[in-house]
Amino acid sequence: MLDTLHGMSRVSQVLADRSARIRELKAQGKKAVGYFCSYVPVEILTAMDLVPVRILGDMDEPVTEMDTVLPTSFCPFLRNCINTVFRGRYDFLDGVVGAHSCDAQEKSIHVWKSKIKYEFYHYLDMPATLHPWGADMYRSSLEKFKSSCEAWTGKPLSGEALEASILAHNRHRSLVRELYELKRFDPPLVSGSDTLRILTAISGLPVDEGSALLEAVIQEARAGKIQADTQDKKRILVVGACLDALPLIRLIEDFDADVVMDDNCMGARTYFRDVSITKDPMQGLASRYLDLTCARTFRETVAGEFRKDHAADLETRFAHLGNYIEKWRVEGVVIQLVRFCDPFGYEVPELKDYLNSINIPNLYLETEYTTGSLAPLKTRLQTFLETLL
Amino acid sequence: MPTDTIKIKRLKAMYRLRAKVDDMYTSGLEAMKDGRPVAWSMVTWWHADPVFKAMDLEVVYPENYAAMVAASGKASRYLDLCDADGFPTHLCGYSRINLGYVSRMVNGCAGGIPPEAPMGGLPKPVMMLSHSMLCDARVKWFQSLGRYMDTPVWMMETALPGVEEWNDPDVRKWSLKLVMDEIEQFIAYLERMLGRKLNRDRYDEMLSDMITLSRLAYKTFELRKATPCPMHSRDFWSVMPPYLYMSGDLKDSIDCYQALYDEVEQRVASRIGAVEPEKYRLLFAELPPWHSLEFFDRLAERGWNFVKESWAYNPPRPLEGLEDISDPVERHARFHLHVATGYHADALADDEYMGYLGYPYVKFAKDYACDGAFFHGLMTCRSASTHHPYTRELLMRKLKIPSFQVEGDLVDLRLFNAEEALRRAEVFEESMDYYRELRQQEHFPADNMQPA
Amino acid sequence: MYFAGMDIGSSMTKVVIINDAHEILIRKATPTGARHSLLARKVFDDALSIINLSPDSISYVLATGYGRVNVPFAHRHMSEITCQAAGVHALFPKAKTIIDIGGQDAKGVKLGDGRVIDFIMNDKCAAGTGRFLEVLSDSLDIPLADFGHLSLQAKTAVEINNFCTVFARDELTACISRGRHIHDIIAGVHDAITMRVVNMVNRLKIEPEVVFTAGLATNTGMVRSIENHIGFPVSIPDHPFTTVALGAAILARKIWLKEKGKGNS
Repeated sequence: MLDTLHGMSRVSQVLADRSARIRELKAQGKKAVGYFCSYVPVEILTAMDLVPVRILGDMDEPVTEMDTVLPTSFCPFLRNCINTVFRGRYDFLDGVVGAHSCDAQEKSIHVWKSKIKYEFYHYLDMPATLHPWGADMYRSSLEKFKSSCEAWTGKPLSGEALEASILAHNRHRSLVRELYELKRFDPPLVSGSDTLRILTAISGLPVDEGSALLEAVIQEARAGKIQADTQDKKRILVVGACLDALPLIRLIEDFDADVVMDDNCMGARTYFRDVSITKDPMQGLASRYLDLTCARTFRETVAGEFRKDHAADLETRFAHLGNYIEKWRVEGVVIQLVRFCDPFGYEVPELKDYLNSINIPNLYLETEYTTGSLAPLKTRLQTFLETLL
Repeated sequence: MPTDTIKIKRLKAMYRLRAKVDDMYTSGLEAMKDGRPVAWSMVTWWHADPVFKAMDLEVVYPENYAAMVAASGKASRYLDLCDADGFPTHLCGYSRINLGYVSRMVNGCAGGIPPEAPMGGLPKPVMMLSHSMLCDARVKWFQSLGRYMDTPVWMMETALPGVEEWNDPDVRKWSLKLVMDEIEQFIAYLERMLGRKLNRDRYDEMLSDMITLSRLAYKTFELRKATPCPMHSRDFWSVMPPYLYMSGDLKDSIDCYQALYDEVEQRVASRIGAVEPEKYRLLFAELPPWHSLEFFDRLAERGWNFVKESWAYNPPRPLEGLEDISDPVERHARFHLHVATGYHADALADDEYMGYLGYPYVKFAKDYACDGAFFHGLMTCRSASTHHPYTRELLMRKLKIPSFQVEGDLVDLRLFNAEEALRRAEVFEESMDYYRELRQQEHFPADNMQPA
Repeated sequence: MYFAGMDIGSSMTKVVIINDAHEILIRKATPTGARHSLLARKVFDDALSIINLSPDSISYVLATGYGRVNVPFAHRHMSEITCQAAGVHALFPKAKTIIDIGGQDAKGVKLGDGRVIDFIMNDKCAAGTGRFLEVLSDSLDIPLADFGHLSLQAKTAVEINNFCTVFARDELTACISRGRHIHDIIAGVHDAITMRVVNMVNRLKIEPEVVFTAGLATNTGMVRSIENHIGFPVSIPDHPFTTVALGAAILARKIWLKEKGKGNS
């Protein structure tokens, strides 16, 4: 049954029930580990033959289980994710891993651990800077993660297995980048919403299955089989923390625009940077994970400078966006902030400064991660897209 | 007004300590006038303060300053400027005041202190120190000032291990190493910037004074377990800056604290309460409505005594053997690291993993024989609000102690409605009465019983 | 050739029909009912019958406003901010800033060559919209229509610290019991809205010529309060309710010509 569907049909099948495949794998004796942030090194889980499952929110799922857990002033995205967990959607999990990427993540993992008992929990403390001595600490933290997985599964992890896993994930990431290459065409060969559907599907599959699915989808896209309608659409880059919900993309695509590029955790942020193959695979992992483009990292042009060069600072923090804008021929940027997000919230004026400095129109939108809160954003988006005409 | 209304009995020794917060601003302003450098710092829970002190670099704390601006009723101008500059309105209220202040300083006052600024204002800094403990705002806020000032930011890291992780010697080892590395690197940075070396003996002396002061403060606050409680939270907040910010001269602060200790001890011996008769004993989380502190006077009239506050503003539990560590950097690092992890071992024994955001409140409510807990929800302060629903449930489940939540904000006066809160407080008394009886009937837990 | 702009607002449905020479043939406003699509048709047909035109004679219909997606006979829909900019530009060619305060929301628009170059809006907090006046009109028991001239008689406007509508109501009650004059109180209410809106629009940097539109532009007290705060006079359209529909009609003509041009080439 599973082998009969390929490409986008398989994507739809996975999305209809993300747990179906994981339950099959569990029936074969595998264990599933949940996580909800791009800072969890999935390579280690894969190498241990564990199945990493990204926990997602659901904007249509009522938030009913949070009264004694997290307040309404907390990151509505994570609150929603945890709510879906507490409502039983991830009841197949055997373990959970959290990282101190931001405070909301740190609180989430602790509150989860206090409320639901699993076989395995791991919390990865991590530095907020790129200081070399912080990186040392992070490397030790990764070693601990590895040994804690070993203790749980009772199996040692060899260097070869870890390297093979890193290679598998690098290949997986390069396939996602290949998919994104198809979005550089005008019109793009894959729409923003189809991209998100594909990325959501692979976020709950073992890495090699995800790669096979990506290959099939890329083939279909190249053949023009999943192209969105071809009328003249505005090419939009969406910047934000985690954009895992289709309504957020459809909001934009409803107005003759297409999300051709993103900088968020479901997409480019997670897949545009590989792990370097080094003699010591742990070192490669540490360098890669500390340097993702999330606003949570305190990034500086020169560590220990005596005078701050603002232009250089903006370049250090946002130049990757300029690169995306040029390569993907972006016509407008939508900054999509989840309310109560501090790391991205403080960036907004400077991010706008940067985008204005390269003369790219931009719009700041705040969402509360509920379908209802999207309606008032429509006028803003439509006006913005009309200014691009 | 009737003459026999209950008033909070303020401690005499408090006044000298309260005035010391002004020392910080006065010396900052004097430094500016003398052309000496001034730094801005986040609260670092003693990670950076002794270094600043030993390097003779004047420090002011924009978080504290923002609270002062809010309390003086002058916040709205800066908040409006911050909004106008495009910062999201849900960001930390303290940071929004500071961002608006800097926007005004740079764009409206040619880099000088705005004339209307309370307490003489904050002088423009030569460097700003961010710190990663407990809140993301404190990592990003100074960075976002880059669009106004070319002042460099040094970001100081700390480790934040979880409850179970802290039990692991490896985790302890690397956490300590990180905290020590950060101290050394920060010293090196300041030395390069100021062109002078740290006097290690002076640093060592600062550390000793800091530890002495912290222990003395801890010992003083422990006396508040007495019934009736001799010291109200309002006095606690007044005497907090000298040890939390190390404002003013440390040796003088130690003297002041000794006087405070003596006075509180005297009250305990004479069974004098800060609020008499003490009908209800309360725990307070986290930061008070600085602009409406008279709210507590109104509650005192009803016999409410506030006997304990969050661990985050209290001195850390004294760490044994600290004096025996010869390397000052290690001694310093262990002291700092103990702030957020000091209750972890007990929490683990209690199967409680929210760590510093869950367990300490249960311990305090029990040790200080509280009848209820007051949670001040702060719309724009995540760190002071995230744990409220969780911890309230914990207090009820483990101790049958009810709690009371009032919405407010750090600085936005519009969110805190004192009248409404007082109306609800009246109803909450019934709840405290009910659970007190219930605890007595069920002998739950025995050491939390109230004298009749 | 005729072009129609339909602005389906939450309380009023407005229609403007223009000819090829930009002359306005009719402007009409009718209260919006719950069923937008049916009402839009009726308002449209009524307007046409007054000026003796058949629906076929309208080359292009452009819908805008809150109910813009519920106009099945419209050729397309655009945002009310884009339409407002086009309408204001037609009436005040030198306008650089629009301050728009309606019953449900408030907006600021920055114009360049008649196009939107930046905008900002508040649709969350009632305190910065006409809704604030409605609530306080109810609690003070003074008709909204009297607010403008009453506030002009104020000596010293009261300062309202609470921006939350519910708390502000309590604060006003306190002002009354302290014996503050009703003129001063109403002027204070106007100033409170102004502060909120002007602060918001100032993010775009308010530059003259400023045009003040939508419902609150008909309130003389609001106009004076805004002029006092920004320090220079504002222009008010003769028909501040229908500038959006006018803009929609103008854009309908522009788009029709553009599409026709494309079709011919």
